[in-house]
Amino acid sequence: MEDIKGDNNQVVGAIDISTGEMVFQAVIKSFHFDRALMEEHFNENYMESDKIPKSSFKGKITNLSSVDFSKNGTYDVTVEGDLTIHDVTNRISTKGTIEVVSGGINANAKFNIVPEDYKISIPGVVRDKINKNLEVTVAMKYAPLTAK
Amino acid sequence: MKTYVKIAIFVVAFIALSAILAGLYLYNLKHTDMAKARPDFIITATALQKEFEINETTASAKYINKVIEVTGAIASVTQAGGNNLNISLKTGNDISSVICTFPAIVDPSKFKTGDIIALRGECSGFTQLFPGEPPLDVLLNNCAVIVHK
Repeated sequence: MEDIKGDNNQVVGAIDISTGEMVFQAVIKSFHFDRALMEEHFNENYMESDKIPKSSFKGKITNLSSVDFSKNGTYDVTVEGDLTIHDVTNRISTKGTIEVVSGGINANAKFNIVPEDYKISIPGVVRDKINKNLEVTVAMKYAPLTAK
Repeated sequence: MKTYVKIAIFVVAFIALSAILAGLYLYNLKHTDMAKARPDFIITATALQKEFEINETTASAKYINKVIEVTGAIASVTQAGGNNLNISLKTGNDISSVICTFPAIVDPSKFKTGDIIALRGECSGFTQLFPGEPPLDVLLNNCAVIVHK
């Protein structure tokens, strides 16, 4: 039994702290799997990353008033928005945390997606061997964007 | 046993063994060792980012999935998730960089902002947070340091 787990350490994102808007973009080929064959299947068979190179999210913090960006601390948030994977967009909502630290913001969230919702087809032979839901873990570190 | 039956058994066994060996080979394939790979391109970080900025479609077709040896000055060194290391190289403008992700083995304390390094990695693409604005960063993966001054 093997974990099917890929990490992408090159996701870009931005938070507008005045509106609570959040945007993310992930390049699919940047997902690293320990097993090279698994990475190849992920890109070629499931995500079709040659045709659809990116995935993105555009949404906002729905309880912005409960976050004080000027005060260090951890705040529970709910983020809602449009998640686009494999060229299919679905509205999602997830709980997460915003941690305000000196010099930056850390954002963390964990949510599940169903691959079929994004037209990612997993052949029947293998489908039963994989969870129905796939877990997505987000861990971002933001630094202030210096004005030009 | 008749000769042709023996030959048939032998051929079937040979094919089966070949298939098993091929399967095992693929299953255990490791990621390319960048230190030994021959680069498809040797270029500076500034020039690479500029090509994506001028025409992201042409640059993507040219560089994605290729092994690129990039030289540049270190803009930042960050510990990424799971023991991976991210080294960003400076480019011609302040907001863009070439982001290079190194697998777990690299020792971060050796790398300082401003150091000139040459590294090799596979280009996976570029990021562009806001459509219509110039491509932000060029991404390299599975990186290995070639020269560190």
